[in-house]
Amino acid sequence: MESVTPQHFLVLAFLLFGVGFLGVVLRRNLLLVLMSLELMLNGVNVALVSFSRTSLNLDGSLFVFFIMTVAATEVAVGLALLVALFKKRQSVFSEDISLLKN
Amino acid sequence: MEAYLNFSNSNIWLEIWPEIVLALGALFILGFDLFRKNNSSSSGILAIILQAALLFIHLFDYLAWHHTFDRDTFAGMLNHGIQEDIMRSFFLLSSLLVSILGHQYLKGRKLRSGEFHHLTMLATAGLMILVQSNHFLMLFVALETVAVCFYTLVAYNRESAKSLEAGIKYLIFGALSSSLLLFGIVLLYGVASSPEVWGANYEYYVGQDPLGFQYLGNLLEANPDHILLRAGVVLIISGIAFKIGAAPFQIWVPDVYHGSPMPVTAFLAVSSKAAGFFVLINLVNGPFLGMADFLLPLFGFVATFTIFFGNLAACGQRNIKRMLGLSGVAHAGYLLVAVMASMHFAGDSDRAIWVLFFYLFIYLFASFSVFGVMGLAQLEDDTEHEFSHYENLAKKHPWMGFVLVSGIGSLAGIPPFAGFVAKLLLISVAYEANLYFSLAALVIGVAISIYYYFGWIREITFHPRPSFKDDENVHAKDPWLQLSRIGIFKLCMLSLAVISIILGLWQGPFGDAF
Repeated sequence: MESVTPQHFLVLAFLLFGVGFLGVVLRRNLLLVLMSLELMLNGVNVALVSFSRTSLNLDGSLFVFFIMTVAATEVAVGLALLVALFKKRQSVFSEDISLLKN
Repeated sequence: MEAYLNFSNSNIWLEIWPEIVLALGALFILGFDLFRKNNSSSSGILAIILQAALLFIHLFDYLAWHHTFDRDTFAGMLNHGIQEDIMRSFFLLSSLLVSILGHQYLKGRKLRSGEFHHLTMLATAGLMILVQSNHFLMLFVALETVAVCFYTLVAYNRESAKSLEAGIKYLIFGALSSSLLLFGIVLLYGVASSPEVWGANYEYYVGQDPLGFQYLGNLLEANPDHILLRAGVVLIISGIAFKIGAAPFQIWVPDVYHGSPMPVTAFLAVSSKAAGFFVLINLVNGPFLGMADFLLPLFGFVATFTIFFGNLAACGQRNIKRMLGLSGVAHAGYLLVAVMASMHFAGDSDRAIWVLFFYLFIYLFASFSVFGVMGLAQLEDDTEHEFSHYENLAKKHPWMGFVLVSGIGSLAGIPPFAGFVAKLLLISVAYEANLYFSLAALVIGVAISIYYYFGWIREITFHPRPSFKDDENVHAKDPWLQLSRIGIFKLCMLSLAVISIILGLWQGPFGDAF
């Protein structure tokens, strides 16, 4: 039976990042866009931890904590904005809230 | 134990006293605002006084008392030098002006002023740390501090759906770009943290910090063709290109500039862009220098595309804030030419960097005079500034008209104003670096920009349309009725215009760069 190698983790990280990226670009629901952003950051975290593990260097594992904190602040601000916007426009879909046009 | 002692000895807190004072001041203002009435503006005055004092002391600190030389502190996390000190004063000046503009702007609206000044000052402290960062972890954390403050500031006008929408757009694009930047950092880290990449030169690896700029500089110089390193560098640069609004990542600029409150638009246009450029020039002359041959064509393409896109898109805009945003994109393109020039003078790149500094300062004075006067207009919806609102401003209010024209003239690069000298320096430095193609794009771009800037100046100064009695109803309310009631603010705006003219005629130490 084949064991799990660092390459597998890297493929997982790339996939998570790619799925998140596509979600941000293609999704119309802003809540799901915020979730996709988190998914991208989690892909980055997986890559960092696996790199840190393979090279026995702790900096990468430390970096992950900073990324998690930043992701939490970003989502806090994003959800607050979304709630305020929902109160104004009664929708979280990007086509319903776009007022900024030429 | 010894390692810990070495580490703690490298923490020289005195080197970052302006940031500490700014952050504590921001907290103090937040607390002070709790005990004030809802529409009190005294926290704004406090913020202005605090930042003015800080700017003054900081200028004296590095000019007269305590010269900083290039030194690393905090175990290589930060790097201080004269360039970093200039950028710190730049951000303090810009934040002071944002507070002045914000004070004037918030006074007439039902918005709390404490949080605005608090966030402005925190963002500035983050920007000041960002330009001094010498380590990718520090760079990322400082960048995100600034970004989160900006997301909130852009959406500050909670009553307006446009401001909220701009905020959420900025948040989504900003978070997307910072994930790209992070992924780039991770790729660099993945290669740098393993000793394999060094092969026989294993001693370079031992005891080094794989995210520090110096170590990555050595690594990139030794392996300029490594595919993962290249991908990482491109991703990091695209993350920064978002901050400066360069071509493939400029899509957020018009919308966010359009929706955000006027002082925040100015803050975004000046501070955020300047920080992005300083970080970019730090990176391409520091850790990424080994990849200059790969990066130069990339930058050339991006700069040309940015200049043409910004200028051509700005020509078709009816809304002035969108037009200014797109013209800001074009300015980012011009400045990218300076970044390319600095890469050409590898090792002795100071000249191009000084040109960049001069341009950024001129851009600061010009932008704040334009946005300051625009913020005075009393419109029903302050995101919808159109050319017709500015009709005959010079006749109605000569001084404010003069300030606005001087700002626009400086942005466009008309001779008596400083913007002309800045553009001339940029062109001369691009010529010296043999960047003929980008130089051509720059000159054509400036020529196109004259069209839309002059359209606006024509509305302000001349009387473009004959007015009939019936036309009076078209503008039910004159947006410039309030102007006679402001005193000190007018003087601040005037001094900005005067500085732009003085710098146009006499450049002081910057003139030596010719």
